[in-house]
Amino acid sequence: MKRQGLVFLAFLLIGASVFAQETITVIFPKHEADLSGAFASRVKDFETASKVTVNLIQMGWDDVNNKLTAEMASGGSAYDVVEFDNGNVAAWLGANWVEPLDAYMPKNFTRGMIPGLVDLFSGADGKLYGIVWNNDTRFFFYNAAMLKKAGIANPPRTWDELIAQSRILQSKGIAKYGMAGFWKAEWALVNDFHFYAYAYGGKVVDKSGNFLFKNDPNTLAAAQLMVRMLKEGIVDPASLTYDQEAVNNVFLKGDVAFLSQGIPGIMAYAQDPARSKVVDQIKVGLVPGGKAGVSAALTLPEAYAIPKGSRNKAAAWKFIEFMTSRESNKKLAQAIGILPIWTEQYTDRDLVKLYPYWADFSRQMASAQGLSVITWYNNFVDVCIAETQKMLAGKVEPRQALNEMADLLKDYQGKP
Amino acid sequence: MDEPRRLGVILVAPSLLIVFGFLLFPFAYSLVLSFMNYDLARPQGNGFAGLSNYFRLTQDKFFTNSVIVTLIFSFVSVALEIVLGVSIALVMNQKFRGRGLLRALIIIPWALPSIVNASMWSWILNANYGALNALLSQLGLIHAYRPWIADPGWAMVMIVLANVWKETPFTVILVLAALQGVPPHLMEAAVVDGAGAIRRFLNVTLPLILQIVMICALLQIIWSLLHTFELVYVVTRGGPFNSTDIIPMRIYWQTFKALRFGYGASMAYLAALALLVPGIFYIRFAYRATVE
Repeated sequence: MKRQGLVFLAFLLIGASVFAQETITVIFPKHEADLSGAFASRVKDFETASKVTVNLIQMGWDDVNNKLTAEMASGGSAYDVVEFDNGNVAAWLGANWVEPLDAYMPKNFTRGMIPGLVDLFSGADGKLYGIVWNNDTRFFFYNAAMLKKAGIANPPRTWDELIAQSRILQSKGIAKYGMAGFWKAEWALVNDFHFYAYAYGGKVVDKSGNFLFKNDPNTLAAAQLMVRMLKEGIVDPASLTYDQEAVNNVFLKGDVAFLSQGIPGIMAYAQDPARSKVVDQIKVGLVPGGKAGVSAALTLPEAYAIPKGSRNKAAAWKFIEFMTSRESNKKLAQAIGILPIWTEQYTDRDLVKLYPYWADFSRQMASAQGLSVITWYNNFVDVCIAETQKMLAGKVEPRQALNEMADLLKDYQGKP
Repeated sequence: MDEPRRLGVILVAPSLLIVFGFLLFPFAYSLVLSFMNYDLARPQGNGFAGLSNYFRLTQDKFFTNSVIVTLIFSFVSVALEIVLGVSIALVMNQKFRGRGLLRALIIIPWALPSIVNASMWSWILNANYGALNALLSQLGLIHAYRPWIADPGWAMVMIVLANVWKETPFTVILVLAALQGVPPHLMEAAVVDGAGAIRRFLNVTLPLILQIVMICALLQIIWSLLHTFELVYVVTRGGPFNSTDIIPMRIYWQTFKALRFGYGASMAYLAALALLVPGIFYIRFAYRATVE
């Protein structure tokens, strides 16, 4: 009887300790460079340090976005820490879906972070709503071995140079095409639209919702470039069916010489013989511009945020604080080469030794720009995808495509 | 209320709760939403909107395009499914070795989950690694791999092909079952009278299976109008430039991407009203078949 009582008491204590332990649910996409489960491993470190249990959900970006939109729209409390993409900032803040983090953050927590990344996730009220976990700035990569074989001394500085170099590479049978584009009918196509606009010094939409693309000669020139490259066979004609992963694969297979918007982790992939046929061949260049001296990259950072419906906000903040700390950032950078969010880490001795090409990245980051920040961004994406593909397929001229975009979105003109 | 009746109510109550909670309430709530401006990203304009969402649909070029695309997709798919389904059923109704195994295998495409079917076809149509390009190339029908779904015409052809591949077995099975009900003596009499195969089919077989064929056609129309979201989403995402943008894709985009729940609900209701037409015909045919 006494023994049974002790056993029962033991079960009771174990059960109580399990129930007493805090549990949070965290959802964010798997980082493209995270082939080894580095993020999951770091989450385990957090659990050990904090005694908070984490239900971690990781999947592709589109799947996370689809899951989250439905959950946030219904005001659910299924998640405590969510993926907060830069493209959703205006819409989510407008819908009041995420919690301002100022009440949880220690003072000066963001001092030392790359300022642009902090600004992107701040609201008009000056409060911070997300902390970046993925500094997803895109860079220009090229196959140096191919260029050398073709007798080309330097990577292109302008898009005209890229076209000329591509022709040389194709005529000598060194590359099938100059490059490929992720021009499938999905969100990433609009990233590319922004990318080319910025590369030409163009603008798309300002924060007040005013259309800048319609009458801007630079944006028109960028659109004309996209069409020209496809028509002249510089860009793989299958690009209208490619997503980002397909484009990366085509580059790593050695079919194309240039990758206009590569994730930082491409260098790690390129050095992996299991994934790449271009080991030791890839280098980083500056994004070509409409003219020499103009260069702009696209930055697509992703942040952690706490939904309004979360019932474990304090524990959620502990998770965010841990995962975005200098220590975590450095460990993840060492493990899988993610770009740090802390400025000082770009000159950290250990990291620079591992990634000497980061010096090239940091040259580009000064000119990195984000997507348009408007509450009706999804409507913009819907229209932009259709009109951009029509233009690329040669159904309409670029000027007409931009005019039709403006016409289809006229209800949103001037609305933030 | 007497005891047996009370017990009956108690036992049925859980089912009624489910029906009310998962069917009737969302149905009614969506109807209410369709008369409202309900934009989650821009809530300052939310409120009662009357019929303005429905009026806006008539001006929405993208929605008009979706309607046309859906009608083309639906009717071409169903026509092919019926013709192929009846043809295959007629073949499988003959005696030959391996007929039993074939009858079992024919159902496999239909039994596949829609998302699996969609993923499979996405890979078959892949511009660089797809089996379709490999096959056509080896047969000498193409000289270089083609990005089939980059062309709007071919993208629609491929979506129809993928849908027909999946849905035809359903027609085959139902028509095959109906063929078992054709009295053998009628066929023997037709043979004795000198009727050829086509004549026997048109004058003897078809009238007897017509009701089942019509029921299949109506069901396939209903399914193709609103139940092919996964296929288009995975393979083409409604592109290129909205050439495969069927109504469910448009509803999905407006509701879950653009967060315009009121407008999305109005689209969904209009589509549901359109489904009433084949639905009513289906009920009439099914009722007549049951009575007979």
